[in-house]
Amino acid sequence: MIRMSSEYQDYLRDESRSTGHAEHIAFPVCEDDVREALGQAAGCRVTVQGARTGLAAGAVPRGGLILNLNKMNKILGLRYDDEKQCFLLRVQPGVLLSQVRRALHDLSFDISNWDEDAKTALSLLRKSGLWFFSPDPTETSATIGGMVACNASGARSFHYGPTRDYVEALRVVFSDTSVADLRRGREMVSSGQFSFQTDSGSIVSGTLPSLPLPQVKNASGYYLQEDMDLLDLFIGSEGTLGVITEVEIRLQPLPASIWGVTVFLPGTGEALGFVQDLRTELSPVAIELFDHRALQLLREQGHAGNLEDDHHTAVYAEFHGNAKEEVRNMVFRSGEIAVRHGAREERTWVATNYHDLERLYLFRHATPETVNSLIDRRRQRDPGITKLGTDMAVPDDELVAIVDLYNRGIKAEGLEAVMFGHIGDNHIHVNILPRSMDDYVRGRQLYHDWAREVIARGGTVSAEHGVGKMKVAMLRDMVGPKGVQMMRDVKRIFDPSGVLCMGNVFDEDVTVGEIS
Amino acid sequence: MRIIVCVKQVPATTEVKIDPINNTLIRDGLEAIMNPYDAHALEEGLRIASRLGGKVTTLSMGVPGVKEMLLDSLAVGAEEAVLLTDRKFAGADTLATSYALAAGIARIGDFGLIICGKQATDGDTAHVGPSIAEKLGIPHVTYVQKIEEITEDSLTCIRLTDDGTETVWVQLPAVITVVKTINTPRLPSISGLRKAQNAQVMAWGAADVSVDEEDIGIKGSATWVIKTFIPSFLTECKMLEGSAQGQARALVSELEQRGGIPW
Repeated sequence: MIRMSSEYQDYLRDESRSTGHAEHIAFPVCEDDVREALGQAAGCRVTVQGARTGLAAGAVPRGGLILNLNKMNKILGLRYDDEKQCFLLRVQPGVLLSQVRRALHDLSFDISNWDEDAKTALSLLRKSGLWFFSPDPTETSATIGGMVACNASGARSFHYGPTRDYVEALRVVFSDTSVADLRRGREMVSSGQFSFQTDSGSIVSGTLPSLPLPQVKNASGYYLQEDMDLLDLFIGSEGTLGVITEVEIRLQPLPASIWGVTVFLPGTGEALGFVQDLRTELSPVAIELFDHRALQLLREQGHAGNLEDDHHTAVYAEFHGNAKEEVRNMVFRSGEIAVRHGAREERTWVATNYHDLERLYLFRHATPETVNSLIDRRRQRDPGITKLGTDMAVPDDELVAIVDLYNRGIKAEGLEAVMFGHIGDNHIHVNILPRSMDDYVRGRQLYHDWAREVIARGGTVSAEHGVGKMKVAMLRDMVGPKGVQMMRDVKRIFDPSGVLCMGNVFDEDVTVGEIS
Repeated sequence: MRIIVCVKQVPATTEVKIDPINNTLIRDGLEAIMNPYDAHALEEGLRIASRLGGKVTTLSMGVPGVKEMLLDSLAVGAEEAVLLTDRKFAGADTLATSYALAAGIARIGDFGLIICGKQATDGDTAHVGPSIAEKLGIPHVTYVQKIEEITEDSLTCIRLTDDGTETVWVQLPAVITVVKTINTPRLPSISGLRKAQNAQVMAWGAADVSVDEEDIGIKGSATWVIKTFIPSFLTECKMLEGSAQGQARALVSELEQRGGIPW
């Protein structure tokens, strides 16, 4: 453990741009280091960090020790599962998403500490075409541990699902330094009861309640379902139950043909009509929106690229398949659907290879990046303001109403804002860009009003970023005081002294014993 | 004006892997794309053609599979595409390649401007554009980053030099080679892809263009590849520990020891 000094200031922040405080920091390289640090910190608050790319302040410390897992960055091994007919990659939590992608693309791994079985599996992988790990949050410098902690998703989750669906096993160190090895399908909850053995031989058992989940893409609070897999409780628990020290992720064969198309629609209504028809008539893996304000911001900030002046709203769709003809056909059919909604096929952008796909991805990433740099400039003048970025999703039949609600609110309050993101999942990021403290205060109120409306319409307050410390009040509105209490009770089973990631998911629990 | 754009198919990566036994490129699993610099050349050609009127013809030399890349050029707006494909062209170096391409250009005929990317990402020679101009006996301008003015008879452009830029006026027909900052290449549209699906690429063999067979392919090449290898860069990483000041001191001392500081 290192005493905090000005050198480590950066570790008090994450991408949410909020700042915390801590007394110590540790950079473990292995599970034993994690146990040692937790042992030394006994009774102190511990905040677990990955690459600090999170947007909900989950990695921002509230005193005590920062346990930064960046140096636990080894890919530990590979195996082929005959039953599931897939490869599984075992990684330390600090391994970056970009590191996994690079290794799988180049089929190149540091195998110096791999056992013979893993090396044999690697030989098999090299003969088995390309494989990929599908979760695709925009920030590829995210760690796998961080992605598991908030059950991250991305554009392609529309088809492939979130990180949860690709986690096969976890090793978790609890605050008392005991270790659990959890494997999908093995530690099951039955009639609310669960029981498993830790490495020290002690039995951990308890009762888990179930909490109704919104029927949308969701990353809000604990996953608590009847007869669930215990593993799923830890995915998305935002570091509050234990420290993840190992993750086994499931890989899939990479489709041979991947095409992307950006379509420009003449208005919001046409864009929504296109999205609705696209998802019923075809099977895209991603559908992404850029509203007219986002396109205008790109023009104003000099990132227009080949954007034309009268392009109003853009929708990006991606198609995967094993035959080029099949994928081309889907792209052509998406063009026909777009034409029905007022688009012109000659004004679409199609990527038919990785090189061109990268260009469409860069365009997609340009919106949040432009927003962030604009807000950073405004913060220099007015440090109190931040971007107000929403992460809410609603059921399919609420899409039109919710977009209308967002647009009316922005207009009525006279705020600057952009909308972009995962419209396929009815999961649009509205970014309010305050120009002043007054804008910020009104924007925050508007965001909270929207959250209540989203909840009333059966949606979620966080679909992919997690609750962290920023959306605690909204989660309380969503699950009610009873729901929060259920989660607190669950936390107490695994972290009785309540030291782990204090302030994430729910408020600090005054009923938990005093922290020395 | 007829504008001819020379395009080359290259692997979609700059980090090529080399077979250690026979020193050839391992192309397995690598997508083939249009040389990124050539995509900028094509875009500039399309912009000039839409401004001045006229058409763009793309030209390449390679195996029959290169047709796919030429179809992509039709999808973004080129009107016709020609592929020089013949076993006799195989193994050509830049000398023999530019000779063959110049012969292809002569057969296409009636051109006002020839545009090439400044170099290809696989060979990195930057020879072919200027060599074509020499073979055709017309002027050329390399590293063009902006076309200031163009008429049917001449163009004024800004080219990059080692220490800045210079403005060049050149009489047409001429060859220019372009850098990436000249424009942002368009992507194909759905309607462009539909059109390209039914389009034809003209395939010409050695006999279809006026060439001396002694000067094409490996026979016509002045250079031979004896060995292909990735240069090895020996790197060593030493982590400096301690406070920021301590690390800075340790860094200076390391640099001094290794002769990295010139005082």
